[in-house]
Amino acid sequence: MKKYHLVRRSGQSIKRLLIYYLIGITISMGIGAVLLWSLGINPFEYYGRMLTIGMVGNKYAYKNVEGLLKILVPLLITSLALGLSFKMRFWNIGGEGEFLIGAISAAIVAFNVTGLPRPLTILLMCIAAMLSSGLLGLAVAFFKVRFNTNETLVTLMLNYIMLYLITYLGKTKEDWNFFLDPKSARPIFGKFPESAIMDGIKIGNFNLLWSVIIAVALIIFIYIYLKYTKHGYEISVVGDSAATAKYAGMKVSRIIMRTMFISSAMIGLAAGLTASASGTISETVTNNVGWTGIVVAWLGKLSVPAIAVTSVLIAILQFGCKTAATKYPSIDSNFADLLQGIILFSVLTADFCATFTLKKKEDAKK
Amino acid sequence: MKKLVSLVLTVAFAVSACFSLSGCSQQPAATTGSTDKNTETTAGSKETDETKPAASFKVGAIYINSQNDTSGYTFAHHKGITEAMKQVGLDPAKDLYIVDNVPEDDEKVKQAIDQLAGDGCNIIFGISFGYINAMNEKATEYPDIIFSHATGYMSNDKNFNNYFGRIYQARYLAGIAAGYKSLATKNDNIGYVSAWGTEYAETCSGINGFALGARSVNPNAKIYVYEISTWGDQEKERQAAQVLIDTYKCGVIGQHCDSAQPQIVANEKGVFGCGYNSDMTAEAPKAHLCAAIWNWSAYYATAMQAAMTDKDSFMSKVGNYYQGLNAGLVDVSPLSENCEPETADAIKIAKDLMVSGTWDVFSGVKLSFSGKAGAVTAEQKSDALKTNKGEEKVPAGGASVGDDVIQGSMNYYVEGVTQVN
Repeated sequence: MKKYHLVRRSGQSIKRLLIYYLIGITISMGIGAVLLWSLGINPFEYYGRMLTIGMVGNKYAYKNVEGLLKILVPLLITSLALGLSFKMRFWNIGGEGEFLIGAISAAIVAFNVTGLPRPLTILLMCIAAMLSSGLLGLAVAFFKVRFNTNETLVTLMLNYIMLYLITYLGKTKEDWNFFLDPKSARPIFGKFPESAIMDGIKIGNFNLLWSVIIAVALIIFIYIYLKYTKHGYEISVVGDSAATAKYAGMKVSRIIMRTMFISSAMIGLAAGLTASASGTISETVTNNVGWTGIVVAWLGKLSVPAIAVTSVLIAILQFGCKTAATKYPSIDSNFADLLQGIILFSVLTADFCATFTLKKKEDAKK
Repeated sequence: MKKLVSLVLTVAFAVSACFSLSGCSQQPAATTGSTDKNTETTAGSKETDETKPAASFKVGAIYINSQNDTSGYTFAHHKGITEAMKQVGLDPAKDLYIVDNVPEDDEKVKQAIDQLAGDGCNIIFGISFGYINAMNEKATEYPDIIFSHATGYMSNDKNFNNYFGRIYQARYLAGIAAGYKSLATKNDNIGYVSAWGTEYAETCSGINGFALGARSVNPNAKIYVYEISTWGDQEKERQAAQVLIDTYKCGVIGQHCDSAQPQIVANEKGVFGCGYNSDMTAEAPKAHLCAAIWNWSAYYATAMQAAMTDKDSFMSKVGNYYQGLNAGLVDVSPLSENCEPETADAIKIAKDLMVSGTWDVFSGVKLSFSGKAGAVTAEQKSDALKTNKGEEKVPAGGASVGDDVIQGSMNYYVEGVTQVN
């Protein structure tokens, strides 16, 4: 213990990083292969199905692309949004809660605003979602700058408050509860009216949802915002050192509150789009993007293009793991999650090893 | 300093990875649409003709929990599906496609259906109530696939049905066993731990069936219902049974909840009980009388056979399936040694009446058992079906309430039932 300690490697080498990732993934998939083989399943077949997200031999292969995009869009937007706040060293782990309040607000609009054309209804839903989520994030930021509260704790706890709120709405059969399906004796969430459900561009059978296009536009927008605007520069300065920012005459509190509002509002947008695309809400509407997004943002090293690529890869991994399990009755989704966990964990370990190295204490002293 | 920050971050994001993953795998069990637990089946109680499999027939299933569970609602259905597949000549290892741990979330159910449809499934079973809207929608999108939904109320006339069973009949039989016990112990108070009360017709009809069964033997029996407001929570189930025994002096404990806790408490306190879903004699050897149980393979075999033979006539042949003792879909577990000697005879008489269809539980005719073991007789008395508030639901001698009431709108307790909380 005394002799060795961790030292950050000098200089970032993309090549080294990729090699480490490759080694990590190979080891984890090897472990997975042993597990699969021990369960009497051909690992090559299984991985083949996993990496092609079950499209080979599928009667409706395009549906799998649609399904993949549906889980990708919220993950992508949420990861970008979380990356924005992390860049400022503001530990927003409240993606789940911000997503849920956004989805609830979008549903309030969807169930109560009728008779408007579809684009307008969906626009209103998204605005409601962005405002509610944004204000929630703003409140956290306000408490942080005003009373120096711990944003990690506050956002974490808000996640559970929002989760219980939506659970309450989904389980309470009362006359006032417009969220529920009026036709069902048991409480279940109702379906949005047709005008609140998102459509897309038809390419043959394939339906390209508008939310995908919005997400791509958002990547470009955030990239420009961070790289070429004053706001973007301010965020990175505050992230490096709040004291420096203050010394340079920046209004740190204002920057923190503004950025948190934008970050949470983006998560709200993701929620609004997701709710509209599924035509209803549920307790599991987030698909855990608030958590997964944290991993994606850090794996992408808070760089916009890298986050975009990482979220695509993670979405494929998630979707593929679930899909592969379907074919094998003895493999349940717990195994799929386990495999996904092993792969993700080894990538994180690879990342760590690529960044740090063990050095003897004497060497370090020299 | 920077090094330290980076180190903390790496740890933080490793932790968050674990967090997100554990988040993925933990679907709340409370969303389970119903509480049916491991069904004890006597192998192939309803044999279906052994036919050779169609060229390629694939079965799809959407589960609320995992197929690898060892007890519980999903376990019971998975057992039913695999047994039925063997009966109709299909190989569960090859012909069964499963999407498990699917929460009651339209989007996730739809994705599961798309996957199963893409993999070429010919029939798709969804076992949880909240899958209803997604299945209804997708049935229109995939007209060539049969959709079959447990516990629901929706259907169409081509390829979408719902299925459930007359578990109240099995509960009536268990009630008879409880009634005899209450006579023998000279204690008219019978307890019942229930997931829900009058909110759900499923629990409500179960309580009423059990009460009518008990009162067919002991007309003075009082049934005290304790509602725990969740489909399954072992601690709450335990506490409810304790309250019923200690405060309400109940001598027999019936139940409609997931675990065997109410029976275990009865065993500890030296009283008796009737379980649910599986034969709970092993858990409560000195207390358990018999349990109301499911045998889902009875339905699954019928449905698969019909879909394999001619899918276009599925709705006319199978349709919305709501069967009971007659089809072997529900039953009581073998009577334990704790039962009174008259129990077996009385249960046989009542069961025969229900199987033949000459009599049913919620009608204007009540059974009244008398006589010693070996010479038990049942008198059929015209007697109105009344609620515990005295309101008449079926006139004396009248026909049973409709299935729509039993499955959907029954929201009253019959005479002799009191909810204590």
